[in-house]
Amino acid sequence: MNDSEQHILETLKIDTAEKLFSDIPNDLKVSLTKIPNGITEMELLSEAVRIARKNKVGNINFLGNGIYDRFIPSSVDSILGRSEFLTAYTPYQPEMSQGMLQALFEYQSLICELTEMDFTNSSMYDGATALGEAMRMAYRINGNKKVLLPENILKSHLSVLQNYGSGINPVFEFYKLDATSGEIDIQDLKSKITEDNCCIIVYNPNCYGIIESKIDEINSFKGNSILIYYYDPVSLGVLKSPGELGADIAVSDGQGLGISQNFGGPTLGLFSFRKEYVRKSPGRIIGKTMDKDGKDAYVMTLQTREQHIRRDKATSNICTNQALLSIASSVYLAIVGSNGLKNIALSNFSKAKLLQKKLEKISGVDPYIFKGIFFSDLVVSIKTNNNLEEELLKNGIMGGKTTKELLYISPAKNIKTFFFSVTEKKTEDELDLLAKTLEVVK
Amino acid sequence: MTYHQANYDEKLLNEYRSGNDFKFQNFDEKSLPENLLRKNLRLPSIAEYDVIRHYTRLSQMNYCVDLGIYPLGSCTMKFNPKFADKIASLTEFNSIHPNQNEKTIQGTLQIMYELQENLKEISGMERVSLQPLAGAQGEYTALLIIRKYLENSGMHDRDEIIIPDSAHGTNPASATMAGFSVIEIPSDSNGGIDIDALKAAIGPKTAAFMITNPNTLGVFEPKIKEIASLIHSSGALLYYDGANFNAIVGVTNPGKMGFDLVHFNLHKTFATPHGGGGPGAGPIAVSKKLMDFIPSPFVDRKGETYFFNYNVSNSIGKISSFNGSFINLLRAWAYMRYHGKDGMYRNTLRAVMNANYISAKLKGEYESVSGDLKKHEVVVSSENRGKRALDIAKYLINNGVHSPTIYFPLIVHEALMIEPTEDVSVDDLDRYCQLMIYALHSENSYLESLPNALPITRANEVKAAKDMILRW
Repeated sequence: MNDSEQHILETLKIDTAEKLFSDIPNDLKVSLTKIPNGITEMELLSEAVRIARKNKVGNINFLGNGIYDRFIPSSVDSILGRSEFLTAYTPYQPEMSQGMLQALFEYQSLICELTEMDFTNSSMYDGATALGEAMRMAYRINGNKKVLLPENILKSHLSVLQNYGSGINPVFEFYKLDATSGEIDIQDLKSKITEDNCCIIVYNPNCYGIIESKIDEINSFKGNSILIYYYDPVSLGVLKSPGELGADIAVSDGQGLGISQNFGGPTLGLFSFRKEYVRKSPGRIIGKTMDKDGKDAYVMTLQTREQHIRRDKATSNICTNQALLSIASSVYLAIVGSNGLKNIALSNFSKAKLLQKKLEKISGVDPYIFKGIFFSDLVVSIKTNNNLEEELLKNGIMGGKTTKELLYISPAKNIKTFFFSVTEKKTEDELDLLAKTLEVVK
Repeated sequence: MTYHQANYDEKLLNEYRSGNDFKFQNFDEKSLPENLLRKNLRLPSIAEYDVIRHYTRLSQMNYCVDLGIYPLGSCTMKFNPKFADKIASLTEFNSIHPNQNEKTIQGTLQIMYELQENLKEISGMERVSLQPLAGAQGEYTALLIIRKYLENSGMHDRDEIIIPDSAHGTNPASATMAGFSVIEIPSDSNGGIDIDALKAAIGPKTAAFMITNPNTLGVFEPKIKEIASLIHSSGALLYYDGANFNAIVGVTNPGKMGFDLVHFNLHKTFATPHGGGGPGAGPIAVSKKLMDFIPSPFVDRKGETYFFNYNVSNSIGKISSFNGSFINLLRAWAYMRYHGKDGMYRNTLRAVMNANYISAKLKGEYESVSGDLKKHEVVVSSENRGKRALDIAKYLINNGVHSPTIYFPLIVHEALMIEPTEDVSVDDLDRYCQLMIYALHSENSYLESLPNALPITRANEVKAAKDMILRW
């Protein structure tokens, strides 16, 4: 008990702090037993480093499917480390938090530029939950229940969608992918659209990693369905945007925009939509206004959609979001710029193609089972009876997840297919090493 | 002290003209079919030095907990320890891909396992899921578990969630989102549960009762065991909103009180930085009968080897892309390891001492709401002096301290909800209370002219909603 605490107790006219808990019945009192007593910072840091070293780093990373080992400019972490951003709360007092509010307004604007969508909210938790919220928003717009999904959707996304469907009871129907191109089977999708359709979910690149070339055709037959477009933000450095291709709601995970892999979290849920649906949208939104003297000012706005005002009638229960990570993505986009993002995206295409070239020479390995164009993730068929993932790991390579493990429906039943993912960081030497190792261990 | 926040009249990113200077190898876009290519991309063209200066200036126009007291009620803005920043920045932790082979992530899994064990102990529950990404998502996850449990027990028709009118807004929002209907019950004059109203609300359709204890007035609900037995004997479940956990760590726990499910806000109780609105982390813990319903997988241990256990027979499935907000989990682990059971208990005592100290200092000035004994937060009203809570808040921020949560809980007029946490000195508490009292004695016209020491005067929120300028 220090002097300050003594002073508090005297002011409260009590002799021990425990007296402040006299309202808690004794039979409810507990004490922690299994948690050890505290340690010094010196001990903590050495223990943390000791545990950290149990993780194996230094393997060559060909994992992807949503999280990517991308290049992060040093400036991103420098800004994120500023405690004025890091240790702030939600900007409930706008006059005292203009810096954060302006940064979030700029984030919304940057993602609108990237996607060519009208509006973007100030973030969702991650890609899968952004998708779940998009489905709920589509239901609020047209009241329909039928949700069309690609049959090769990530199992994890499907599970999150099922859970986000609670209360609206969506009916999921799966459309096919073309077995030759690996792209959406547009005719099959078209045939499944009925008058009571809620939304169509498309991925581009799709869950095989392939770029869709016919998404714009969906507009000619989608009717009242809401087109929900799941994109890769880095690919938009060069590809047509969701906005240009007719998306009503565009969502993604922003991890690739300057955020470490973090074992999958925290990342950043990107959420954009058409202007006319703004009042049906979930999440916090920052707006520009003026102060009493006519000076530009930024505030949280349209809060009457949100849980703290509207309670059980809110568009979503989301409160805490990923504000800090949205600043990370803003700094990233500002640093790399339009030309930088274009070249980073092209580098991915180029490396995926180069990897195909390296693998085509290996017998029993076919990187061309799909004719489509790959971006970062790549589906490869390999004749093998070995556990490739384990064998590669013995050789310092991470990758080779089976499509069966990750996707709702795998490409074809009679072949084994595996994922290898590239990013701008992969070197030709690393691609050669993967090819050489596969030849030996398959 | 004369306070002025930095004010740069900082322009927007896209108004800079310094030119992009990012270096990267050039690739030819002709390698791709023309019909796939976008026509233009209009990101700002700004030099790296200007990006840094821009964001540094913006950062200086922002209050944060490293600058001082940030006593938002129910938000638990305690000091964010710097050792956690250091640990979170270790490459061995932040460069890990979520699909890596378990052999390569034994350190990560150990942290998660130990955190699960700690949260079990702190909550008195049987199993923990670290997957939910924020408190509201923890609530939603728990409600999905409640639904699945009831369905599996043949109680499909239980579709009502009872919630007190003093509850956090996320409670009713999560409940309707999960497909339940919300039955709101009034609080008694002390902000506690009105037992008669609760009895009247309980029926054959009741699925669960969602409450926080201590409640949003900072008062411990003494009849909690009676409430638990009322709920359980009706066949329903009892849910603990963990937003107010900072009042009870090491003193009592939801398991002991009879709760079936709990969510934690690691960014509140366990000091992970809130980043201007997020990220958070909202793990949940459940009692024995709900163990097999949590999101899959959880982390388990066999000897010295840690692994993901997918054997959750009635699992609701996944609630987020991967395995939770790992970096926040890691920071919370570091907080717990550093403070330990002795330190966490001391923190609870000090947080409650500080709240009661504020209550005592404001007594006779502000109208006190509920009894004298507070837990982690105190709610007062400025209505007795004809002052608006909003005006008091602007006075405070104009003096370089953050305001309390205002206009919440909804059941108190002109409410100011103050949660100092354990990390404030007596000198700072004294100064804060003094400012609050000065504000109360100021002329309304003066208060309405504030703030004037910040980059902007009062922002016109009505105009923002009307104009809907949501981007440049």
